[in-house]
Formats: sequence, C-alpha cells, structure tokens
Amino acid sequence: MAKKTYDLLFKLLLIGDSGVGKTCVLFRFSDDAFNTTFISTIGIDFKIKTVELQGKKIKLQIWDTAGQERFHTITTSYYRGAMGIMLVYDITNAKSFENISKWLRNIDEHANEDVERMLLGNKCDMEDKRVVPKAKGEQIAREHGIRFFETSAKANINIEKAFLTLAEDILRKTPVKEPNSENVDISSGGGVTGWKSKCCS
Amino acid sequence: MAITADDVSLEDIIPISLDFAVVEVSSSEELAVVGADTKMKVSYQEEELELRLPFGSHSRLFLSEVNRVWSDVCKTTTQAPKFEWISKYHKATRGLGTTVNKLNQHQKKEKSSDKKGTIEGEKGSNSGTHKSKAYSSPESQSIFSREDRNDLVRSSSHTPSNKAQILAMPQFGLRDNLIRCELLKNEDLYTYPEDFSFFLGTYNVNGQTPKESLSPWLSCTLNPPDMYCIGFQELDLSKEAFFFNDTPKELEWTKAVSQALHPDAKYALVKLVRLVGIMLIFYVKKEHAEFISDVEAETVGTGIMGRMGNKGAVAVRFRFHNSDICVVNSHLAAHIEEYERRNQDYKEICSRLQFRQLDPSQPPLTIMKHDVILWIGDLNYRISELDVSNVKELIGKKDFETLHSYDQLKRQIDEEAVFVGFAEGDIDFQPTYKYDTGSDKWDTSEKCRVPAWCDRILWRGKNIVQQHYQSHMALKTSDHKPVSSLLVIGIKKVNAEAYKKTFEEIVRNIDKMENECIPSVTLSKREFHFKDVKYMQHHAETLSLVNDGQVPCQFEFIQKPNEPTYCKPWLTANPSKGFIAKGGSVDIELEVFVNRSTAPELNSGKEQIEDILVLHLERGKDYFISVIGNYLPSCYGSSIHSLCQLREPIQDMSQETLREVAKMSGGENAVNTEKPLDIPKELWMMVDHLFRNALKQEDIFQQPGLRSEFAEIRDCLDTGIPDSLPGSNHSVAEALLLFLDALPEPVVPYSFYQQCLEICSNASQCEKVISMLPQCHKNVFNYLAAFLRELLKNSASNRLDVNILATIFASLLLRSPTKQDLAEKRKTQEFFQHFLAQGSS
Repeated sequence: MAKKTYDLLFKLLLIGDSGVGKTCVLFRFSDDAFNTTFISTIGIDFKIKTVELQGKKIKLQIWDTAGQERFHTITTSYYRGAMGIMLVYDITNAKSFENISKWLRNIDEHANEDVERMLLGNKCDMEDKRVVPKAKGEQIAREHGIRFFETSAKANINIEKAFLTLAEDILRKTPVKEPNSENVDISSGGGVTGWKSKCCS
Repeated sequence: MAITADDVSLEDIIPISLDFAVVEVSSSEELAVVGADTKMKVSYQEEELELRLPFGSHSRLFLSEVNRVWSDVCKTTTQAPKFEWISKYHKATRGLGTTVNKLNQHQKKEKSSDKKGTIEGEKGSNSGTHKSKAYSSPESQSIFSREDRNDLVRSSSHTPSNKAQILAMPQFGLRDNLIRCELLKNEDLYTYPEDFSFFLGTYNVNGQTPKESLSPWLSCTLNPPDMYCIGFQELDLSKEAFFFNDTPKELEWTKAVSQALHPDAKYALVKLVRLVGIMLIFYVKKEHAEFISDVEAETVGTGIMGRMGNKGAVAVRFRFHNSDICVVNSHLAAHIEEYERRNQDYKEICSRLQFRQLDPSQPPLTIMKHDVILWIGDLNYRISELDVSNVKELIGKKDFETLHSYDQLKRQIDEEAVFVGFAEGDIDFQPTYKYDTGSDKWDTSEKCRVPAWCDRILWRGKNIVQQHYQSHMALKTSDHKPVSSLLVIGIKKVNAEAYKKTFEEIVRNIDKMENECIPSVTLSKREFHFKDVKYMQHHAETLSLVNDGQVPCQFEFIQKPNEPTYCKPWLTANPSKGFIAKGGSVDIELEVFVNRSTAPELNSGKEQIEDILVLHLERGKDYFISVIGNYLPSCYGSSIHSLCQLREPIQDMSQETLREVAKMSGGENAVNTEKPLDIPKELWMMVDHLFRNALKQEDIFQQPGLRSEFAEIRDCLDTGIPDSLPGSNHSVAEALLLFLDALPEPVVPYSFYQQCLEICSNASQCEKVISMLPQCHKNVFNYLAAFLRELLKNSASNRLDVNILATIFASLLLRSPTKQDLAEKRKTQEFFQHFLAQGSS
C-alpha cells in the first residue's frame, strides 16, 4: 500500500585491484567530487543514490570493496545479492588489466547467476600514462559479452553514464510484474537489505 | 474519497460478489435516533455476520463504497445490468418530482432478487446522511440533463490522472515524510498562481420544493465559473428528514441546481454532502475535473443536544492543483439574542469537523488547515439594537453601511469572537431574511421578524478577490433570498518541469543526508602485530573505536565465509559486539592466547598467527582488521614423536625442519639419518631435575607452582637457556604435568584407550598393552612410571601414595578421546596403579 519515494532498490558492487579507483568512481557518482589522496579501502563501504529511469525512481545502493589481494576471500562473500557488478581496472596499470579474468572468475563463482556485469577502464584522463589500449578493453568485454566504458572519476568522464547504463540493464531484466516483497539477502555484511517495489500505482 | 477506494481496494478485502450482501438490520427504536450505531448484517454465501458500525462518515463511506463495488461487480459479471426496465420508471418519475430515492431502493431490491443478493447500503436509514450521487447507478444519468456528468466524475475521482499522480504526495515512511515536508516548504519554487473563479451560493429554502428556475441565481455571471459550491439550508423540515435523514428534496434541489448551472460550460458533480436539511453540492467545470483530488466530505451536527443535524455544518475538502480547499456550509443557531450560541456553533464546527487523511499515520485535517476556506450558509446573525421600523427605514434609504454596523456578525468578527481571519465583501444588498414566501414583502406574520443578513459568504486565504456579492430577489420560493458571490482565487498550479527539478534536488539532498547517516567509526589501528607469541602467555592489544558518524552505531565482529567463528581460536575480541553513542568510543581488547588445543598446529607451522577480523556496523560499513604475529614454537603442544627427533631446543630449529618433523610424525622410521632420542629431552630434563632435587619434597605434585616460574621453565626447555631448569620443585613438577597435558597425542595414544579400559584389572594384560605402544611412547611411559615408583619409595617425606599419583597421572597419560565419565576415570587409575606397584618392571 505504501507509495514509496523509490520504486526499486538495486544493489551494485564495485570490484577490481587495489588502487584502480573504485572508491573515487563511487565518490564521483554519489557526491560529484574527487579526492586525490589515496586511502586504501580496508573493508566494505557503501553509498546510496536515487536515480530516475524510465519514469521509475530507483535507489542504488553501491558497495565499494577492498581491492587488496589479502582480502579477496572475504570480499567475495559480498558478491551474493549484488544485482550489478562493476569490474574496474586502471588503464595505466597493466597488472590490473591482466587480473580481469581472475575477477571475472570470482564473479562466476560467487555472484548470483543473473548478475549484470560491466567493465570499466578507469583513469582515462591519464592518456600519457596509458598502457592498456582501449581496444584491448573492448575486446575482453566483447569476449565476455559485457558492457565496457573507459571512465575517469577525476575528469568526470562516463561515470554517471556507466552507473545509469548498468541500472538500466538491471531494470530491463527486472520482472514487470511487481514482486510482492521479495527480499534479496545481501550476505552477513548486508546493510539495508532487500528491495521492494511499490505495490500500488 | 475515490482515491481511498483505489488504494485500499475494497474488492480485495471483502469478497464482494453476487453472493455478497449487506443489509441494514437496525431496529425501529434505533432508527429514531440520529447518531445511533448502524447495525449491518453481512452475508456471503452461507455465512452471516452482524456488525455494528459507528455513526459517521466513515461508516457511510464504507457502505457507499461497498455499494459501488457491488454494483460494479454486477456490471462486469453479467451483461444484464443496463436495467432497461428502469426506463419506464424514469419516464414516470420525470416531472412528477416524486421520490427517486425510493426508486433507488426499489431498483436495488430488484437487483437483489435477480441475483440472490441484497445491498441496502445507506438506504432509508439513519446510517447515511448523504447519498453520493457521484456513485449512483446508471439510472440517475437520465435524470441529470447533462448526461456525461457521472462518467466524468467517475473518471476524475476514481482514476487519478497522471497530473494528479505527480501531485499525490508520497504517504509512508520517514524518507517519504521528509520529501513531503521539503516539497511543501519549497512549494513556491514549482507552483505559480493561476486564477480560477468560484461561484458560491447559499440559500435557505425553508423546506420548500423547487418551484422556479434557479438560473437567475446560479447563472448570473457573464462567463461560466470554474467551480460551483452551492449550499442549502432547511432543505426539508419534515420529521422524516430529521429522524431518518432521508429526504426526497435532496434529489429535487440537486436537479434544480444542475439545470440552472451556467449554460456555456459543462460541469461535473464532484461531491454532494447533506446533514438533514444542510446540503452542499460541489461542481467543477469539466476540464478541471482531472485536477481535483483528495475529495473528502464531513458533517457536524450542533442542533438539539449539541449533536443533532437540524443545525450544524457540512463540508467538502479537496485538492485542486496544488491548493487545499475546504468549503463549509453551515446553519447556525437561530433567534436574535442567540449570537453567542452562533459563535459557539462556529467553534464547535471548527474543532469537531475533521477530515480523515489517506495516510493513516497523518492526523486528521481540520478546516483551518486548508489553504483556502470558503464558508457559506445561513449564519443566522441578526441586526441588533434597532427595531423593525428603523431597520426598514435604513433599508429604504439603501443605507446598508449604517445598517451593517448593527450587524451581529460584523460586530462579532470585529471583536474577534468568531470567524477570525475570515473576510467578507461589502454588503450592497438588502437583508435576505425574512420575506413572505412567494413575494418580496417583508415578513407580515405576527412575529414580524426584523430583517437580517442571515445568509452570508466568507473566505479565508491568500490571493482571493471577490467579483460580486449579491442577493437574488427574483427567487421567491422561500422566506430567504439566495445569496451568491463570485470569488477569483489564485490557485497554486504546478510547473511540472520545476516540480521535477525541485523534487530531484530534494531527493539529492536526502540521499546526501542518508549517506551521512550511514553509521561510521574510526579505528585506532587497522593492523595488529603480536610479536613473539608464546605458549600459555596472554598477549593483548587495544583497538579503539570512535563513532565519528551522525548516528549511534551497533558494532559486531562477524563470521567470514566458511569459518565457524568470527576469529581464529587463539584470538578473542572483548567485547565482540556493542553499542557506541554518537561521538562516543569503545576500547576493544584483542587477546591472543595459545593453549594446548591451538598450540600443535602453530608449533608444526601448519597455522600462523594471522587472521582478518570483520567489524560490521549494523546498517553500515564493514571494516577489515588484520591480526598478524609470530609464534615461538614450544615443546608444549608438540608431539612426543616430534620432540624425539629434535636434539636441539625447539626454537633453534628452522620452520622447515619443524614442518618436516611434524609431517613424518607417526612414521617410526624417519628418513632422518640421526637416531631419534629415546624420550623427549625436555621430559628428561624435568624428570631428571625432580629426581635429583625433589624426591623428598613435601607435597610434590600436590602444591601448585608459580606462573612466572612456569614461563621461565618453558623458555628454558624451548631455548636451552639457561643450562639448568629454573624455579622451585613445585613449579617444575607442574611444568611436567602441563607438558603431559599439552601433548597432542597422549602418552598412551587415543587408539589404545578403549583397550586399556577393558583390561584394567589384569596387570599382565596391562603390561602387554604398554609393550605394544609406539617406541617413543612406550619409553616415555616406562620412564615416568619408574620415576613415580622412585617417588613412592620416599613417601614418608613427600607424603605421596599410589592413589594420589594414579589419580594425577592416569588422567594425563590415558586421556579419553571424548568426554570421560567417573567410571572410566576409575578404570584408568586402576590401569595405572599396576605400574606404580614396587617391583613392576
């Protein structure tokens, strides 16, 4: 009966090597700001942002994960319940690109089967330090059938577009028939869990 | 009202079908009292239920909604309900002005007999003070001259248009309330005033039936007004109307009104509300209908006993675009001297008349909560202090200004005793009361009433301009003259673009607020190093949490996937969960303690001092806390077999050697080139120390040692420094017991335990079992037994006996793989006693 101010809640997850700029991508999207000092995320953080897509108000709950190798086994437990995963690499860091297949495997193993994936090549403002050609990013994305954007949190390139596209892709898969109150459990670390659609219009 | 029905979806709650019926069953005594509960019998298929509904609009609304849904069901399930047979009744009714209400009843009964169901709704009873013509069945369409009205109203009120949906405020939840408040606060940003004309009319009809066209009154404006709010008083003065709140006049007057509305526009009837003789009809120009929402109607009786409906008010509230408007039609107490009573009626109406809100969590709306209040009616205030001749003289001179200064309402308003904040236009017409019916002559009855402006129109709100305020002398049906006023009201219209922008801005701010309200703490440290962790030595570090967030938070260390607890067994966090107030802090002790169950894995290098704790904040972030350190391997918690391989102190060995040694444990013939020791050298050191120094020690093995000395003894055994064992005999004795206790595999291995219990009474069998033990275990067993026998030889000084030693050592040497009961314990002691007897090998 409740007319919510948002119609749907999508849980998104940011993963990728340490230092590729996951936190900055999130910060740019949620606060429209950028911070140059690198503070390694040691844990799981999240922010919310409400967007409107196709006339629906969608609350995005975006989880930012620690990228450091030693935390990988723990962070994979947060994959479950995510409806969209953004896999981020750094176009100036070849290793971060090489690790993509490993991250993709992680998604296969730990995320929901129907999770919507997206690949982001971040720091595209640093053209002079680029070591991963855009074509390589496009190619691996094509091979895995996922969307790809080169982004820059610093220069605010494609950040909003990436999130909205991912949300749209999820929305497209969301059954039109309103699920009554299906709760999606977001693992033990879940904060605000579940998503409800409004049940009257 | 209609939106309510859509939201609640009556059809989903009540099994309304053709088998469903609601019948009024109030007894005739109860019917005599207006305001009594309404008794309803609800039947569905075989089941019957009797309900008592409290008097009031909620019950009325409920019944009328049931009524409506039921008739909808009839329409959809069968194609029949065109009710063609009804048309002949219509023809019969036309012009006769007879009781169409009865026709309604009749029709309903026809339906019921057709369909095995009855629904009486509010018909013919005290339960309904109004009959919502907006929902009336198809027959009424032909009664109204403008046939499209009903359908129009249906669509305007049942299915809110897209626009109305934009306007519809979110209704639940904190976030929704915040957004609603912000939207209201910033209304100026997305609304702009647009003028709409409201025609207000009030007419005390003195119980008459309409005998003449109302056009001179209702169509007196050049252009058709946007809204009509028409109020009647004394619609019906009959006892039936008073007691049963049922009157045929309602329909007659409604019809008369609908026929007299401005001919240049089409109007939709949005709401009709009536309390006995006080009736309010609200029409809206067709094109505005879709912008009307949240329509509610209420009534308050202030008549006899302060409750009855002969006096009082009826009111309709609605939202038009973004403005909330309330129209009140009241009939206040009569008689010239009763002006204070009229003031009181006004106050009663203001406090008692409350509209419920769609959102049940919201308090009911009172009249004064509206942006625009239009108050019409027979307010009954008179001219005081002047006698009839003076009044008539002033009227004759058209000196209405002087006359008005004697008007009670004006005086009461000036004194702020009533209608505070209301405005009224200048009165430029002669008093509307009291005339000889059918004429323009003042009252000639013996009472010879003083003329008075009983019938008034007042308003409260911003952006309201009065275009006219007049009476209509041409109408002669009643002893009152009707009054009308045309108000041009600046209604807040929504700029959809600006609304969207404002809404998005608010959402952005609320998102920001929500993000700021995610619980958050700062940690004094993210990594903890525990250096040189030793067996049975307590290490602790403090983790300080400071709640730097905007809200109190609840923290808890949570389990990682595939792990049984939130941390490794050698680690604890104290407290592991708790609450921190905003700005508060808490210290958490991270404690490392390696005991006999965790030592073996650490000694062998299979495990490291290494863990990641996940600190979870309820509804917030998770923090990872790394715990690392190094463990100094110890003979404590190492196996007999491993220790026999080590000729040097354990801490002089490399990690690899220890890992190697641990791996081959069990396999007697190691690849090791060196012959293993017969017994662990650490055991020998302790036993030899005791043998040489403590054979005669009083209470040896009975008196506890010192903790600090144990640490020194342990370090000596593990590092070889110093050369001889430090500490008292008692400490060494205890260190020996702890050593045996810490063995991952007891001296008599677990696999032999059961067998030992079975043969415990047979000395030779016992010896046979021991002879079958692995070599190093057998050596240790025999060595210890020999030492204990030596001790017993000195029992005079050390006060030991067989029983004491058997009790102490049996439980260490023969440990149960599971939990040991008392009987088993006795058996292990019996077993071991054989080896303590002097003379055994």
